[in-house]
Amino acid sequence: MRAALDVLSAVLLLTGAAFCVLTAVGVLRFPDPVCRLHAAAKAQTLGVLLILGGTACQVSAHHIVSLALVAVFQLATVPVVGQVVGRTAYRTGAVHRESLVADELEARLAEDERGG
Amino acid sequence: MDAVFVLTVDLLAASALLTVVRIVRGPTVLDRIVALDVLVTLIVTAVAVGIARHDTGSSVPLLLVLTLLGFIGSITAAHLVEEREDMR
Amino acid sequence: MTPANAGPGQPRRPRRPAGRRLLALVWLWLLWIMLWGSLRATVVVGGLLVAVGVLTAFRMPPMRNRLTLRPLRLVRLTGHMLVDLAVSAVSVGWAAVRHGPRAPAAVIEVELAENSDLLIATTAYLTTMTPGTLVLEIDRERRLLYVHALPVPGQDAVDAQRRAVSAAERVAARAIRDSENRRTF
Repeated sequence: MRAALDVLSAVLLLTGAAFCVLTAVGVLRFPDPVCRLHAAAKAQTLGVLLILGGTACQVSAHHIVSLALVAVFQLATVPVVGQVVGRTAYRTGAVHRESLVADELEARLAEDERGG
Repeated sequence: MDAVFVLTVDLLAASALLTVVRIVRGPTVLDRIVALDVLVTLIVTAVAVGIARHDTGSSVPLLLVLTLLGFIGSITAAHLVEEREDMR
Repeated sequence: MTPANAGPGQPRRPRRPAGRRLLALVWLWLLWIMLWGSLRATVVVGGLLVAVGVLTAFRMPPMRNRLTLRPLRLVRLTGHMLVDLAVSAVSVGWAAVRHGPRAPAAVIEVELAENSDLLIATTAYLTTMTPGTLVLEIDRERRLLYVHALPVPGQDAVDAQRRAVSAAERVAARAIRDSENRRTF
């Protein structure tokens, strides 16, 4: 039982850490804040969840509830950060609009501006 | 199992290093906000690994506090950026 | 404004806000107990007091429509979300390694079929978890979602992402909607 848990825990911890590395690579390499947000919102969240899972295999039972709460908080807050930061990035011009394949928000914002 | 912990922490440290590079380079405040958010989350994971290794439950509240603090920090910073932009 | 002080005898607003606030109360209470991690009397009673205090101090805005949650489908929704998150993480990680600074991105407008606050919020949430998409703007009045997609090599991929968001909306609607429609029409 102990050995099985250790193996599971090792797998979870290492995959989680691998996703954290992928996130960092994304944050470093992607061209603008919103693309970097993609990495932060997805790869990083999965990384945290996996590592918390790996930790849960190692600790005594009554800490698992708290770890689960951390996971829930992560899952609940990440999309909010994504939307707030993403929206601000677009509106303040931090996104390279000219490099976008398609941009359907630009026309709408211009239209709203004209309409008052 | 010790080797696993060490390797995990090494990977996390490497990620943190890359993230710090992004914080230094920017170029916009929002890039730094995103990178800082990732860095806080990396600290959460590192503390979690520490808990797994030593089974010290006393650090568990730290995880909760860091998670929520990172969230509130990012949101507040993004709002500040937006407000500053509106004032122009 | 809020029907908070409308007594149970009033016919138009039968116990809806009370039910929702009771749910919030129980959740906050449980959260407090879980955070303390103990069942001592001070924690249990204190938690109840704090929960009541928080709910009195911060009134939740009233929702436009009535909602009934379906537990089983919500569980399925959660599973769906976690699978999506895993696929997302792999796909964005691959994009970071493969495309890096030249990752092709797009901002897409998606029309929403539904018109309830919670459902639109859930859709936005699921969209962020869906591979390759991140919500930028929610235009509540026009019922439009502006989504940042990555990577999108061409118009085909743009359309595929648009369909993915609509699919997320349907998943959300299946878990939350039915009773709401019965109620509003």
